[in-house]
Amino acid sequence: MSKWMLRVAAAIFGMVAAFAPALAQQTVNLTFRFNDTEEKEMRAALDQFEKQNPGIKVTLQRIGWRDARDQFLREAAVGQGPDVVHVAQVWVKEMGQAGALQPLNDLIKQAPLTNGFSDFMAQELAQNKEGRIYGLPWTTDTWAMVYRTDLLKEAGVTKLPETWAELHDVSAQVKQRTGKTGFGFPAGGSASGAIWFLANCYWWSNGKAMVVQKPDGTYGMNLTTADVVDSMRYVKSFLTEGHNPTSNLSASDAHDPSILQALVNGQQAIATMPPNTYKQVLEMYATANPGKPVPFVSGPFPKGTVTRTSMIGGRMLGINANSKHPAEAWKLIRFLASEPIFTQYYTTQFPAQRSLLKNVNWSPELKGFAEQLGYARTWGPYSDGPAPIGAMWNATGRAFSAALSGQRREQDAAEELLQAVDKLMKTRSQ
Amino acid sequence: MRGGRLFIALMLAPELVVLALFYAYPVFQNLAISFTDLYLLRLKTGGNWIGLDNYRELFHSPEFGHVLFNTVVWLTIVSVVLRLLMGLGMALLLDSSVLKRLRLATAAKLAILVPWATPPIVAVVVWRWMLDAQNGIINAVLVKLGIVDNPVAFFADLRTVWPSVVTVIVWNTVPLIALSLLASLQSIPEELNEAAALDGASRWQQFRHITLPFLMPTITVLSLMSVFWTFNNFVYVWLSTGAGPGTFTNVLATEIYIKAFVDFRLGYSSAVGIVMALVMAAFGIVYYRFVATRELGESL
Repeated sequence: MSKWMLRVAAAIFGMVAAFAPALAQQTVNLTFRFNDTEEKEMRAALDQFEKQNPGIKVTLQRIGWRDARDQFLREAAVGQGPDVVHVAQVWVKEMGQAGALQPLNDLIKQAPLTNGFSDFMAQELAQNKEGRIYGLPWTTDTWAMVYRTDLLKEAGVTKLPETWAELHDVSAQVKQRTGKTGFGFPAGGSASGAIWFLANCYWWSNGKAMVVQKPDGTYGMNLTTADVVDSMRYVKSFLTEGHNPTSNLSASDAHDPSILQALVNGQQAIATMPPNTYKQVLEMYATANPGKPVPFVSGPFPKGTVTRTSMIGGRMLGINANSKHPAEAWKLIRFLASEPIFTQYYTTQFPAQRSLLKNVNWSPELKGFAEQLGYARTWGPYSDGPAPIGAMWNATGRAFSAALSGQRREQDAAEELLQAVDKLMKTRSQ
Repeated sequence: MRGGRLFIALMLAPELVVLALFYAYPVFQNLAISFTDLYLLRLKTGGNWIGLDNYRELFHSPEFGHVLFNTVVWLTIVSVVLRLLMGLGMALLLDSSVLKRLRLATAAKLAILVPWATPPIVAVVVWRWMLDAQNGIINAVLVKLGIVDNPVAFFADLRTVWPSVVTVIVWNTVPLIALSLLASLQSIPEELNEAAALDGASRWQQFRHITLPFLMPTITVLSLMSVFWTFNNFVYVWLSTGAGPGTFTNVLATEIYIKAFVDFRLGYSSAVGIVMALVMAAFGIVYYRFVATRELGESL
C-alpha cells in the first residue's frame, strides 16, 4: 500500500473517530413494545412522532398480551428490555415494586401533562402507597354485552335482558326458537381466560368479591364456597342446556375466532367482550355484508341482587427502569397519550383521560359500552392485595374449566379455588 | 507417560469447560434455585433459602399424581408406543414390493416427509382447525356420515381430549420413526428371507425371526430418544389445550411453565424441573441396564 493511501485511510479513520460520538449523540434510539394488533397504525403514529422529534428514532416491537408480562419482567431483571412498555393497568404496581419500571414523578414535574395526572382514570393502579407513579394510564375500557338484533327478533325477544336470570332465559329462547347459539362465551381455563371477567362480574353484581379490603386495612375474601358453586352452576347451565356449545370449553378469549365468526355469520345471538373486539366484529360484518345495516347493539351487564357492574380495564405505558433515555421515553409517552392518537391511529381504544373521553362520539352500536362505563369498578383491592392477580386469574380459570368440563364437581372445584386463593394471600402476606 | 496424560488432559480441557458451562452450570443453578422461594417479581433481590419446602409441597400436592400420570401414561407411553407401531407399519409398507410395483414408493416416501417437515406449532393449529366443532372438516364428515349426531368438541371433551392431543403428536413425529426403520429394513440381506422362504417359513415367521431381530437395535435407540423427546415436551399440550379443560391435560412441562410464568414461582417451578430430570435419569438408567445393553450389547 502506498504512503498516500495510508495517509487517506488514517485521515478517514481520524474523522470518523472524532465525529462518531457526536453523530451517535444526535439520534436517540428508543424501543416501544406494543401488545395490541394495530401494528400498522401504531407505526404510522410513531412515524409522525419521529417527524416531530428528528433526534429520536423509535423501533416498534410487537408481543402478544399472553407473554408480555413475564417476558418484560425477565428482561428488566437482567438490565434489558424496551424503553417504553405497554402494560395492563393491574400489572403496573407490581412491576414498579419489582424494580422493572421507573417512577415517573420527576418526569411529570419536568414535562407536565396537558391536563395534569389527575385527568387520568385508574390512577390508583398506577401509583404505590408512597405516591410513586410507575405508569401513565393510556386507554380505558370495560366489557359489555353484545347482541345480534336480528336473531333476538327471530326468537321473539323484544327487550334486552336486565338480570342474570333473564339473560339465561333469553339465551335459552334463542336456542329453542332459532336453533342458534344463545349466549356463547369462552369457557376455557387458560391462565388469561375470559371466564375470570364473567365470574367476577357475577360475584360483584351480587355483592361479593374474591378480594376485599377490610376496615383494618388488611385484605381477605368475601366469597364462600356456596357463592362460587352458584356462579359455576349458573355458567354451566348454558353449556349443559346447549345454549353455549361445548366447543367453547376450548376457547379462552373473547376474541376467539370461532365466537367472532359465529356472531358475524349469524350463528350466535349474544356475547360479552371489550369494545376493541366489538369494533372488530362490526368491521368484519361490514366487510362481509357491504351496505347492509349492522344488526348489533351493545348493552350493560345484567343486574345481580345488588347492582350491575363490570371492571374498568385498560392499558398503561411505563418506562423500563433500565432505559438510558427516560426523558425521550417520557416525550414518546406524552405523544402517545395525546388526542390525535385516539382519533387517527389507535381508534379501537378509548383514551384514559377524562377530558378526552368526554369528546368520544359513541356510535349507536357502542352506546351499551358508554352506559356500562358508568357502572364499572376498578380492580382496586385485587391489585393492592397480597395475591398476584395473574395467579388468582389462573386458579379461577382452571377451577371453572374443571367444573364446566366435568373434571371436578362444582363443590370440589369451588373449595379448591378458595383454598388456592387463601394460600396465595397468606404466602404473599408473609 | 505422565507427559502423555497431561497432554490428553490439556486437549480435553476446552471441551470439558464447554460442557461445564453449557450443561453443568444450568443444572446446578436450577438445583440451587429449587431450594429457594425465588419469585419472578423479586428476581433482582433473589430468593430465600427454604430447603426442601418446594419438594415437600410438590409431593403433597393433590395435583402431582395426576400430572405425573398424564406425563408418563398419556403423553409418553401411549404416544411413543403408537408412534413406534405406526412407524413400523409405515416402514414395512414403504419397503413392500406392492408399492414398488405400483411405482408409488418414492412418492410415498416424499409424502411422509410432509408431516415431519411441519413445525409443531403449525401441526397443532392445523389439527385444531380440522377438529374444530363449528368449522372443522372432521366433524363435518362425521356428522354427514351419521357417525355422530352433533359435532364433537375434540379438545374440550374429557373423553376425546387426550386421544386428540396424541393424534397430533403421532402425526407430527411418526415419519422420523418410519424413515429410520425403513433405512434399517433396507439393510437386511435379501438372502436371509429367500433362504427362510425356501425352508418353508411363513411371512409372519420371516418377520418375527429375521426382520424384527434386525430392527431391534434401531427400535431400541428410537424408543429411548422418543421417550426423552416426548416426556419433556411442552409444545403439543400447551398449544392444543393449554393444559385444560381445567387441569385435565396438565403435564410436568406445562406445570413448570404455569408455576414459573403464571404464578411467578420460579423456585417451585425449578423443583418440578429437577423431579422431571430425575424421572428421566432413572428411566435412562433402567433402560440402559435392562434393554439397551441386551439389544446394543456390542456397541455400548
